[in-house]
Amino acid sequence: MSEQSKDVCDPNFAADASHPEVHSSPGVSGGPSPPASQAATLAGPDIPPVGTPDAPLASPQPQAPSEEGDPKALQQAAEEGRAHQAPSTAQPSPAPPAPAQLVQKAHELMWYVLVKDQKRMIIWFPDMVKDVIGSYKKWCRSILRRTSLILARVFGLHLRLTSLHTMEFSLVKALAPEELDRVALSNRMPMTGLLLMILSLIYVKGRGARESAVWNVLRILGLRPWKKHSTFGDVRKLITEEFVQQNYLKYQRVPHVEPPEYEFFWGSRASREITKMQIMEFLARVFKKDPQAWPSRYREALEEARALREANPTAHCPCNSVSED
Amino acid sequence: MQGSTRRAGVMTDVHRRFLQLLMTHGVLEEWDVRRLQKHCYKVHDRNAPVEKLEDFINNINSVLESLYIEIKKGVTEDDGRPIYALVNLATTSVSKMASDFAENELDLFRKALELIIDSESGFASSTNILNLVDQLKGKKMRKKEAEQVLQKFVQNKWLIEKEGEFTLHGRAILEMEQYIRETYPDAVKSCNICHGLLIQGQSCETCGIRMHLPCVAKYFQSNAEPRCPHCNDYWPHEIPEVFDPEKEREAGVSKSNKRPPRSRQH
Repeated sequence: MSEQSKDVCDPNFAADASHPEVHSSPGVSGGPSPPASQAATLAGPDIPPVGTPDAPLASPQPQAPSEEGDPKALQQAAEEGRAHQAPSTAQPSPAPPAPAQLVQKAHELMWYVLVKDQKRMIIWFPDMVKDVIGSYKKWCRSILRRTSLILARVFGLHLRLTSLHTMEFSLVKALAPEELDRVALSNRMPMTGLLLMILSLIYVKGRGARESAVWNVLRILGLRPWKKHSTFGDVRKLITEEFVQQNYLKYQRVPHVEPPEYEFFWGSRASREITKMQIMEFLARVFKKDPQAWPSRYREALEEARALREANPTAHCPCNSVSED
Repeated sequence: MQGSTRRAGVMTDVHRRFLQLLMTHGVLEEWDVRRLQKHCYKVHDRNAPVEKLEDFINNINSVLESLYIEIKKGVTEDDGRPIYALVNLATTSVSKMASDFAENELDLFRKALELIIDSESGFASSTNILNLVDQLKGKKMRKKEAEQVLQKFVQNKWLIEKEGEFTLHGRAILEMEQYIRETYPDAVKSCNICHGLLIQGQSCETCGIRMHLPCVAKYFQSNAEPRCPHCNDYWPHEIPEVFDPEKEREAGVSKSNKRPPRSRQH
């Protein structure tokens, strides 16, 4: 891959030599892989459903006609990347910047990515170039590599290209998977609780949840569409806009229904970050029942957990799959 | 590239998880930080003794040093609560927040910041801020929109609102002290005791020196006749109490409106 493109940077520069227990979060292909199979790894479960465009914040993406897993796609992205940025001229390449400058850029990029992730905003590659890398575009690969190294060594986070199509990155925990860090610390928890409530409703129904059904559930928490809440603020805006923008939920019109009604689905980010087993645990906690009280859902969750374990070997062995079988 | 050259800073998964979660939350109060630290030990190194918080943080900071970031400890200006945040020391202006907000939103913040710094009380009224909406760079913003943006700043802990007036959140002061000093060198106020940046505080009516409320509390603790440290005139203001985390816990759940409501888990 490194031979093909100069402008698009390696998506899978896993820098986890120091991590004996590298474990990506569910949905993202794990571990370092030899360059030849990188394209194949990308075709794994981490590509969000491409049927519907999944990057609502971004301007219309150039569509790569070939399949994501194809090495050609990487070439294409490289070309599109070049076209998207300033048209390359026939100028002689500028002198490489001092190493200290590249290091500084890497630090800036690290902070940029951390803040984006903190705000649960999309980390979009063209934004990274525009906002941080700027005129050091040519060296973005080494900058990106250094940034991921730092993030892995210091924060235990992996900067992964999660969608080649939309050129989105995300920060993934490299530490052992945990239940959602239930440290119950002020701000973040209520949002997660609210989100989990909706996601679990959708999951239990097995299909989209109508907006009316969602509000029935939220009524249990004392939330109404017209009332401003002390913690959540405008709840309706939060769930129909913010969570949607962050790709945790999808909010779509129900076809063929008059007057118009809307329903919620899981967003691509929810599918990536939250496992079905976590939903079952959440349900069990909230309703004080055994997760097996939802037998078919529980079975699904078990299957997903098994599939994830097989896809992400715990031991750090690049070419070895250490599954239970 | 890892800053483990000079000092003995060693990053383990305990530290990494701590950093991750601290970053996630933006800013945390000290009791939250202690709980967080214990949680990280429990997850990764159950049997190890929990290192003293100060040493734990210094350890991490020695590694972060070469990255120009730091876990900074500060104190809320109104009631002296210790807070911690992971801050970027490289002053690249308000664009520190640039990844979060649109151009016109950033400019609104800048305008509010200026009003706050220039004010006597450290507060800028909502009306005054909103009146500047026409002067904003970027996309045109209506006053209604600006009100919501100001609320966004409050939710993200950049500003605090009190009775229709806005001042800087402790987090903003932690993150932006350097930037503020460099950008408004003449308007900036400092505390006479700790010499830190001062937004809210008390001032001597005779000689004009200022002090943070928690600095006043500590300086005049159990002093029956408080006098200005500079001109020795009688200190005319009410002396606040020194923040006591133990008393806090005994008192129960939420004390002032500054404390985010401890919502139950859903």
